[in-house]
Amino acid sequence: MKTRRIVLDALFTAVALTLFLVELQIPNPVPVAGIKLGLANLVTVVAMVLLSPLDALAILAVRILLGSLFSGNMMALLYSAAGGALCYVVMLLLRGVVTARQIWALSAVGGIAHNVGQMAAAIAVTRTPALIVYLPVLLIGGTVAGLFTGLAAQFLIARLRPLLPRFLPTQTTNRGEKKNHEESETS
Amino acid sequence: MKTRSWILIFAVLLAVCSVLTAILFARRPSGTVANIYRDGVCVYSVDLSAVEEPFEFTLTDERGSNTVRVERGRIRVTDADCPDRVCVSAGWVGENGSAPVVCLPHRLVIRVEKSAKADGGIDAVAR
Amino acid sequence: MKVGSRLSAVVLAALLLLSSCRTAGPQTAAIFAMDTVMDFTVYGGAQTLADAEARVRELETLFSVTSEESELSALNRSGGGTVSAETAALIPAALALCERTGGALDITVYPVVRAWGFTAGEHRVPSGEELAALSAAVDYRGVSVKGNAVTLAQGAEIDLGGVAKGYTADRLTEQLRAAGVESALLNLGGNVQAIGKKPNGDDWRVAIRDPQSESNVAVLAVSNRAVVTSGGYERFFERDGVTYHHIIDPATGCPAKSGLLSVTVVAESGLLADALSTALYVMGLDRAAEHWRAYRDFEAVFVDENGTIFLTEGLQSRFTPVSRGAAVEVIRL
Repeated sequence: MKTRRIVLDALFTAVALTLFLVELQIPNPVPVAGIKLGLANLVTVVAMVLLSPLDALAILAVRILLGSLFSGNMMALLYSAAGGALCYVVMLLLRGVVTARQIWALSAVGGIAHNVGQMAAAIAVTRTPALIVYLPVLLIGGTVAGLFTGLAAQFLIARLRPLLPRFLPTQTTNRGEKKNHEESETS
Repeated sequence: MKTRSWILIFAVLLAVCSVLTAILFARRPSGTVANIYRDGVCVYSVDLSAVEEPFEFTLTDERGSNTVRVERGRIRVTDADCPDRVCVSAGWVGENGSAPVVCLPHRLVIRVEKSAKADGGIDAVAR
Repeated sequence: MKVGSRLSAVVLAALLLLSSCRTAGPQTAAIFAMDTVMDFTVYGGAQTLADAEARVRELETLFSVTSEESELSALNRSGGGTVSAETAALIPAALALCERTGGALDITVYPVVRAWGFTAGEHRVPSGEELAALSAAVDYRGVSVKGNAVTLAQGAEIDLGGVAKGYTADRLTEQLRAAGVESALLNLGGNVQAIGKKPNGDDWRVAIRDPQSESNVAVLAVSNRAVVTSGGYERFFERDGVTYHHIIDPATGCPAKSGLLSVTVVAESGLLADALSTALYVMGLDRAAEHWRAYRDFEAVFVDENGTIFLTEGLQSRFTPVSRGAAVEVIRL
């Protein structure tokens, strides 16, 4: 059981890393620092909802670390870590509030939190408080990107959930999730 | 929480941010001085309106280098060895209200600001 | 109708008063004193400016070391004596700064400076023996002040040139403030003293001269601060392809070779800024940075031989470089 879980986490991380690296190859349509789709966030959201917060944290941390290593941009590690940490905390708090059909909202709030965290780190590192004028743009970017990945995650979760018992037969996906799931079906 | 309230929250947030963005970037004063900051310190300043011939120069430190091109009224990063090259894709910034160019990996910020000409408007010279 | 006309009269009177405020421009004067040109810009009455000029003349006669009649010349000739209250106040203050800078500033270095010919303008390179003999008497600790009585050690002579302009700027600042002046810029031959801000509320913009050209390296935005620059480029001469400048290291008796081209000190006190600009130049960048970390009562801008500009942390927001692609580094705590 434990091994299966580790394998599953590793699989998720690999998918997240792949998404992250593929996205780097695509020219950014919005040339504003800090605004991007953040496809890898999709995996974090799925893990958070489908597996457990602990799995999500492990996947996120490993993805950020390896992602920075692979892309050869260790400077970005700091920004990613700050954004990722804030995003994670906010999504963790909201996880119990949203239903299975509101995962897009969870992700959008996470996107906003991610950009706020990045902005805070950038201000601290560059000692340029004036960067704050970027905040509204980054909030828009975070919301839109979060909505997109969140919607994708929501569809993915709906498809993946029935398959989950096959991967984790004695699965004890946290009860909160099940409850949420049932709730959404009745609503 | 109802799905409808979520939609409302995001709609309001997006609207507010759009308005703020419009205010912050559209109403930029028609300044003509470009200041380049590294680690928050202005390391280079050029009066964009006084540029006769376009020129290029490279700012280098241990983190890497950014090549900056200056033309009359506008400035951009033409080349950089940072991994994301967001600063290069940001394109030109000029007098008519553009966002600053930021190169996070190199901690470089280029802002077009309204200020007295760095060389002019001097009250005294310490020597 | 009556009320209306009275109202408009009040409005008119108010407008008149306001416009008279606005048209009151600055009083300016260029004064030749202390071997330099001083430019004063004072927002206030004409009398305050005349008083300031009179004060400069008064202090000049006291502190000049080249004028034969000055109090200081008399003191140097006789090796001791009673001096005016003004001089008796400045000498201990200057000695304290010599002590603070570990002798990088030394008011008794005058005989050495004279041997190099910087006082009379007849430049020469003294021999090693001559410098050794003169340097033996260079020690600020040989100067003692009791009340108005000053005693010098045998062979010692003092020169207040490194602190007189700064001290004068401080006294002028006091005097102008007491006269109700809230905005003024005093430029004592490159020793800049900013009183308050400009009348429009902006900081005064003080440029730092580029040691290697006729232009400026940077602009500092300051208020209520003295900005004083010392550099070997101010006065120097060449012999046999070697350049000798006028800032003498008291420890060696020779022009200071610290790797710096200029040091600009920003401080509340003109005296402190004046004394430190010379002392930090002698110390060199590393010791100067340590001095800043130890005291934190001033900020500084250094230009080294490569043209790199170093500024202390506190000046970051006040500093704008002028030159294209200048290398700027920040000295942090």
